[in-house]
Amino acid sequence: MTIKKTMLGTLGLLALTASPVLAEGTINVLTWEGYADPSFISKFEETSGCQVNATYVGSNDDFAPKLMAGGGVYDLITPSIDTTKLMIDLDFVEPLDTAKIEGWNDIYPKFLALDGIQKDGEYYGMPYSWGAIAFMYRDDAFDTPPTSIADLWREDLKGKISLWDDKSAIYVAARKNGDMNIYSLSDEQIAAAQKTLVEQKPLIRKYWATAGELVDLYKAGEVVISNTWAGYQSSLLADEGVKVTEFIPKEGAEGWLDSWMVVKGTPNKECAYKFLNMQLSELGQCGVANVNGYSAANASAAKSCMTPEQFAALHQDDPAYLDSLLIWTPLGDRFEAYTNAWNAVKAQ
Amino acid sequence: MSFLRRNLPGMLVMGIPLMWIALFMLLPYGIIVTYSFWLKKYPTFIPAFQFGNYITIFTDPQYVRVFLRTLKISVLVSAASFLLAYPFAYYLVFRCRSAALRTWLYMAVIAPLWVSYLLRAYIWKTILGTEGVLNSFLMSLGIINEPSSLFLYNQFAMVVTLTYIFIPFMVMPIYTALEKIPTNLTEASADLGMGPWRSFWTVTLPLSLPGVAAGFTLTFCLSFGDFIAPFLVGGPDGNLIANVIATQFGAALNWPLGSALAIVMLVVVLTIVSLSDRMERKGMTGGV
Amino acid sequence: MAAIIELENISKHYSPTIIGVDNVSLTVEDGEFVTLLGPSGCGKSTLLRMIGGFEEPTGGAIRLADKDVTFDPPYKREVNMVFQDYALFPHMTIGENVAYGLKTFKLDKDTVRTRVKDALMLVGLYDKLNQRPQQLSGGQRQRIALARAIVRRPKVLLLDEPLSALDAKLREQMQIELKHLHEKVGITFIMVTHDQTEALVMSDRVVVMEKGRIAQEGRPQDLYDHPASPYVANFIGTTSFLPGKVSALSGGVATIAAGGTQITAHPDVTLSEGATVTVGVRPEKVKLLAEGETADNVFEGTIAEVIYYGLGLRISVTLADGSKIDADTLLPDKLSHSTLPQSGAPVRLGVAAHNVFVFEGTVTP
Repeated sequence: MTIKKTMLGTLGLLALTASPVLAEGTINVLTWEGYADPSFISKFEETSGCQVNATYVGSNDDFAPKLMAGGGVYDLITPSIDTTKLMIDLDFVEPLDTAKIEGWNDIYPKFLALDGIQKDGEYYGMPYSWGAIAFMYRDDAFDTPPTSIADLWREDLKGKISLWDDKSAIYVAARKNGDMNIYSLSDEQIAAAQKTLVEQKPLIRKYWATAGELVDLYKAGEVVISNTWAGYQSSLLADEGVKVTEFIPKEGAEGWLDSWMVVKGTPNKECAYKFLNMQLSELGQCGVANVNGYSAANASAAKSCMTPEQFAALHQDDPAYLDSLLIWTPLGDRFEAYTNAWNAVKAQ
Repeated sequence: MSFLRRNLPGMLVMGIPLMWIALFMLLPYGIIVTYSFWLKKYPTFIPAFQFGNYITIFTDPQYVRVFLRTLKISVLVSAASFLLAYPFAYYLVFRCRSAALRTWLYMAVIAPLWVSYLLRAYIWKTILGTEGVLNSFLMSLGIINEPSSLFLYNQFAMVVTLTYIFIPFMVMPIYTALEKIPTNLTEASADLGMGPWRSFWTVTLPLSLPGVAAGFTLTFCLSFGDFIAPFLVGGPDGNLIANVIATQFGAALNWPLGSALAIVMLVVVLTIVSLSDRMERKGMTGGV
Repeated sequence: MAAIIELENISKHYSPTIIGVDNVSLTVEDGEFVTLLGPSGCGKSTLLRMIGGFEEPTGGAIRLADKDVTFDPPYKREVNMVFQDYALFPHMTIGENVAYGLKTFKLDKDTVRTRVKDALMLVGLYDKLNQRPQQLSGGQRQRIALARAIVRRPKVLLLDEPLSALDAKLREQMQIELKHLHEKVGITFIMVTHDQTEALVMSDRVVVMEKGRIAQEGRPQDLYDHPASPYVANFIGTTSFLPGKVSALSGGVATIAAGGTQITAHPDVTLSEGATVTVGVRPEKVKLLAEGETADNVFEGTIAEVIYYGLGLRISVTLADGSKIDADTLLPDKLSHSTLPQSGAPVRLGVAAHNVFVFEGTVTP
């Protein structure tokens, strides 16, 4: 065996084990679970002739490290609206040719107006699904339903409270402190939020990191109140027979929006745009609504594929609800101050 | 040319491992060290040569606190493993008369190593949970009236889980060290007037110290770098240094700080290893 | 002299069929050097370990200076053991090793130092005080092991194959040294060995063991001259055995048909006429007879083999009835092939009547 052969063998091994398939007509998407669910993706694969390979992320923090590790692997990604700007600034994604996307103009104008998905007059993200970071409680644990964020600071619920292990904890604490400008907090306001979270720490059973983990915590009876991705964990818990209720506290809730973005220099542009069109159509919009319980960004597609009950439950025709949400906003260079404060809370 | 041909097999045998070490150990360390001097700047970070990251680590109390917490957990895990593993290994080597039973018990401790780490950690979640096995057991005995939440999602649960997972690394070296002690040394000690306890303290324990040191090093280093247990069974106060490093490389997108943390962690671990190595060497000169 | 060790019907049965020591009774006098001799598996080491307290007998009693110590642990007995491979503590210096046994005596520091020094001087290794066992040679370690045991001034010193790990030259030297040491310290020594020379050279008394029992005990010379059984005769020294039959008895003299002739002997046992016996002759007591020379008993045969072993020759002879007998002879001053016995040559052998052993029955040793 020569060195050359050894090297070739090693490279071959790497090729076999290291990467998703790179065949022609195949698109690799880095996304959330449910966003490429076989229930609607297989139909797309049949009609378009494009194969879809999905890799799932556990949090918005996974997008940047995965794309930084080297290009050429993923074609499409779905970061949330607080992370889309970072993708643009990191030069990971390319502008969209919105003319090639049917139904673009049916997207909620409120979403198209968001700063996070555009730069220099060009769109980089296609709004796809949205929802609230609502709060949730276990029905059998409360005589009077909780209505406030302050209920997550109640002494009598000590050891039964959970909070998302995310910088959004700062948003929650700031609102409890009465600071409603949660995306432009001053250093003092952040410090106050950090202090509030440290006070809450002894009451916390566990900070939840993944959707599945929160479901487990409720199921095992460890937790009775927390924040949640509205529509998602509650339906998983309903399937398990655990009765929980979502609520929007009087301090308001954050709203999130996930957008599809095309990774810069993808060689599979044709399939990528076919995929975008599908996701914005009834197939994709009701697909994600049915699988994850998230609301759709294309209201007219949603109207034709949803039952009236589902349409209402997902607040598809409820501008007041949408307006009440504090939609996530890119933090830019304030990002570090937020994450640092949250890390300091966890280090306490 | 003939020199090359003659020595080619040897160069391959030595060369491939060396290349492997260079490529997959030295190079990554070099990269991490380099990053640790860089500067965080939105959206990512920029090349620089400055010690800001290290200064942050030693001045921002959150990092010192997590380092100390990690140190505490690792020491507790090592100590708990030692307290459980030593009597167990001692029993196997000196007291267990049946060779079949000895093999069986030894395998029972080692076998979990073949089971996925995650699975083993999950087991403890079901045991320690509020509606878990331990609570049901204690309630059935009437020791407690209602399920206790004291067992899971705290540092206690982390120590229990990590001890369970890493105890084979304590049992194996101690077992080997004890097995190497000739039985006639303990007999000689008894012959020279020492009762069983004093014989243990003056002969068996000192001679098994190299194994103990190796066990401490292994369990300590493995615990020190762990980040799964805090995630699965740790509570709000369970963040360890590895979790902080993961956060810096992920959520915070601050690779320079993460790299500096990793370097400090490496220094701590290397210090422990060299200390224990010195101890083993010292034991060796007295070794059999 | 008073008895220091008394073994009374000592047995060690590991199971009904596996018997280590079987009903052994033995008394050792104060100051005696007694050797337990036998092949491996004869129970000699087990017996020694029971005296030391490392194993408990399943029957019988052990008394040390009139005190029953049968079930006392080793650390409560005033006996000390020199282990086969010395069992020195590798993590201690020579000084610490020797001082180790004094810890329980609660002596003051100076006394400890003096006694350690005395013990090391006794074995001539005081200069090794601060070295480690690993730095010493086998013979030196052996002496340290002795010093470590003697420093406690035990009533009895037990030695388990103490010289077996040494090479032949050193072993011979240590045999003498040990014997002198025994005389010097005056402690009772009980040694276990499988080496008959060691046993004969060093001991006041030898206890030959066979299958867990005592085959014979006595002074080395008595065992050599009057072995009680073919087993002992062959274990102590070498013996050629011939099957025989008693043809006549008168007084202490027996006439026995053996080796194709009639021989006379002075048996140690009482025999009856016509009894089947085994006759034993030591090669070194067999004389090659020159022409015309005669002896009490004369055997005729042919030389089957001649073995040269430096000091002399061992000549293996086939007798008229097919049985074999060995004869040792010193080499003549001038060595020449013509004077050396040759294979196949006829030969006459002479043995004095008092050098013939007679044992009852037929035995295949």
